[in-house]
Amino acid sequence: MSNAVKVEKLAKVFEFNKGRGFSKTRVETTAVDRISFEVPEGQSLAFIGPNGAGKSTTIKMLTGILRPTSGEAEVLSLVPWRQRNKLSRLIGAVFGQRSQLWYHLPPRDTFELLSRIYELDRSQYLRRSDMLIERFALASFLDTPVRKLSLGQRMRAEVAASLLHQPRIVFLDEPTIGLDVVARQELRDVIREWNREEGVTIFLTSHDAGDIESVSRRVIVINHGRIVLDDKISNMRRRYLSSKVLNIKFHDEHSEVAVNGVTVLKSTGYALKLEVDCQVVGMEEVLHHVVNAGSVADITIEDPPLEEVIAHIYGQAGSSEAAENVEVS
Amino acid sequence: MFKKLASYLALAVTYVKLNFLSQLEYRGAFLSQVVAMFVNDSVWVVFWVLFFTRFPALRGWNVSDVITIWALAASGFGLAHGICGNALQLASLIARGQLDVWMLYPRALLSHLLVGRMSATAWGDALFGYVVYLVMVRPDCPHLLLFVLLSLSTAVLFVGFSVLSGSLSFYLGNSEGVTEQWNFSLITFSTYPATLFEGWVKLLLFTLIPAGFVSYLPVEALRQLSLPHAAAALGGSVMVLVAGVSVFYHGLGRYESGNLMEMRG
Amino acid sequence: MSSWQKYPWIALVAARSNLAYWGDVASRFIFLGVVLYIFLRLWQVTYAQMGAAELGGFTLAQMLWYLVITESITLSGPRVAQAVDEDVRTGVLSVQLVRPMSYPLFRLSTTMGERLVRFVMNLLVGSVVALVFVGPIKLEGAGCLIFLLSVPAAFILDFLTNFSIGLGAFWLEDTSGLLLIYSRLTMILGGMLLPLELFPDWLQPVLKALPFSSVIYGPAHLLVHPDWSAWADLAIRQLSFILVLSLFVAFLYRTALKRVFSNGG
Repeated sequence: MSNAVKVEKLAKVFEFNKGRGFSKTRVETTAVDRISFEVPEGQSLAFIGPNGAGKSTTIKMLTGILRPTSGEAEVLSLVPWRQRNKLSRLIGAVFGQRSQLWYHLPPRDTFELLSRIYELDRSQYLRRSDMLIERFALASFLDTPVRKLSLGQRMRAEVAASLLHQPRIVFLDEPTIGLDVVARQELRDVIREWNREEGVTIFLTSHDAGDIESVSRRVIVINHGRIVLDDKISNMRRRYLSSKVLNIKFHDEHSEVAVNGVTVLKSTGYALKLEVDCQVVGMEEVLHHVVNAGSVADITIEDPPLEEVIAHIYGQAGSSEAAENVEVS
Repeated sequence: MFKKLASYLALAVTYVKLNFLSQLEYRGAFLSQVVAMFVNDSVWVVFWVLFFTRFPALRGWNVSDVITIWALAASGFGLAHGICGNALQLASLIARGQLDVWMLYPRALLSHLLVGRMSATAWGDALFGYVVYLVMVRPDCPHLLLFVLLSLSTAVLFVGFSVLSGSLSFYLGNSEGVTEQWNFSLITFSTYPATLFEGWVKLLLFTLIPAGFVSYLPVEALRQLSLPHAAAALGGSVMVLVAGVSVFYHGLGRYESGNLMEMRG
Repeated sequence: MSSWQKYPWIALVAARSNLAYWGDVASRFIFLGVVLYIFLRLWQVTYAQMGAAELGGFTLAQMLWYLVITESITLSGPRVAQAVDEDVRTGVLSVQLVRPMSYPLFRLSTTMGERLVRFVMNLLVGSVVALVFVGPIKLEGAGCLIFLLSVPAAFILDFLTNFSIGLGAFWLEDTSGLLLIYSRLTMILGGMLLPLELFPDWLQPVLKALPFSSVIYGPAHLLVHPDWSAWADLAIRQLSFILVLSLFVAFLYRTALKRVFSNGG
């Protein structure tokens, strides 16, 4: 399969003046530090990192808004900052904070406008918009001014609008920000479906672990301008599971479990909730103690939520040692 | 080339249409603003009429010459910002990093950006300009045609100048204050007879504050029905536009390299 | 603190927060510089053409100083109507109602505080410009005193109209059009551009009887041509307009509040 995105040693250094007058000095900050990665066409990638990590700088370079200081990048075999115009017909973008839709007009009007901006063939446009209207369930509010729509409806229309010109890569920046739980899940589902069925490459940035989990297969974590993790979502979970949560139910009263590396989260007559630090104590040993504590009726082992995993990775990335460890492993 | 131009014109028409539809969502507000702008412009014409009832002439120019200036400035300004409504927003768009969004479309950045918005009240100005010219100056057919042409030339000047002054943000960080004052100076000088000024100020009016292409050359062109004057006015406007566009794209290079004060990754 | 002492205090705070914007002063210099320069040229040419030392009782220097005052008064107006409009639309007004103070008096205090500061700043800048262009004019201590007495009343009068327009937000989709029309009427009928003496004779008594001239022409004229009886005349007119408009505002405000209480804002 060919690559939708290919990045090699891409770097961006910003220069700006600090201070005023005589105390003015030239300061350089490295926003993106020689990163390399590839995204095969059709993949759904989550590109995450804390604020100021270099995420948006990277995306700006990949969409041709910014020129890099050094390094190379190809998006759909085009160099973004040299062939921005050509590239723009092939990519779509949704910025959760910045709407394409005209606030006082129905979504249909924005669709019409976009068809003219992208100079779409009339019949093709009509076919395409019909399809999007159906798949994103827009029909009921297509002729209602955007300001009267719910946030969930608005974002569905927003994403659909960015797909009108049949982009092959879609950049989604915080698409579910501000949405309620249901609307959030609906939007994730439709994006995932679109990715699977149409083979569109998805480039997602989000602070919401749920978005990442349900939309993406792969995750790249960037911090301090460097890639600190590049792996499948499932692998990331496994690797960073330094702790597990055990829920145990007993047939009758149990005795206490006291092992180094195990924290008792909750203990009632017939139940026990434990957090196990796997780096300190092996699971086998913990289970052994549990079985000795009483007659076990049921046991579940849970991973910690993805949020915690991500927070953990961010924390680690503070030291460059950790970053190197990840790249080696 | 021609096809490209037609496509951009069609796009501009679509934007104007959508902008009007947007405004009509609050038609009361829209209408009252257009009317208010009309009244605003009328106040100045009233001033000049009063002035000329007291004093017969101003260095050879009479009341209809001065009203022509107002008609021309208003219609040119109105057309400029009724169509290219983002022209006056350029400084703040640049300073806030909002060009990004516009860079993701397969259209020439500047032209697309400019037509992306419309100033509603500007249509009040445009309307005023044509109405006052027809009603108060009562032109014959050649004069009217020439007036329409010159109002287009004036519109080109205002757009070009706004682009030029707005592009300062590429170099100064946020230039909103300077840009506003510079635009204000052009507009103010454009509405007074250029014959009032002499020496270095007159020079200024054909360079840094190119109001002479509104308040002198076009009026002379209409007074004498002189095509050379009209051509000179148009030429000046086009030069200002070329200067604006060049500075914009030169500045855009700085934007793309991310070395503006307020751009952070 | 007694219930009345808080209002001067609010005015003081508003005035101080306005003083923080010294960057504003620079742009005022440009603005007033351009406007006054153009008027200087206009009147220089006119005086020369008429071969007159005085027009409408004004020497050239007096004319320019008159314009410094009228511009300073006009440009010092804070955005009262817009602020009230916004308070109405965003529901801030109903929140203000639970505070232990009167909303109109609160607005009046902030307006007076802001406006006096801005007026003095404009006056300083305008005086510098006028001194450079035409030099000083002869002033009398008494003239300055009655001028200073007439200014606050003018501001209160202007506040009352602006406040009413802002309250219009209860009934109108948009008040900015109305505001623009009012401010332009003040400009022309109040004598900002042209002293009333230069209007046609039959119009002068009508304009003097209208409230607009009590805001602008009245005070500016007093400084240039000080006269106790003219001041008494102006003061009586200002006070009666203030009285009538206060009653109107009270009526409007009560009606508006009824709406708030019945509709919940």
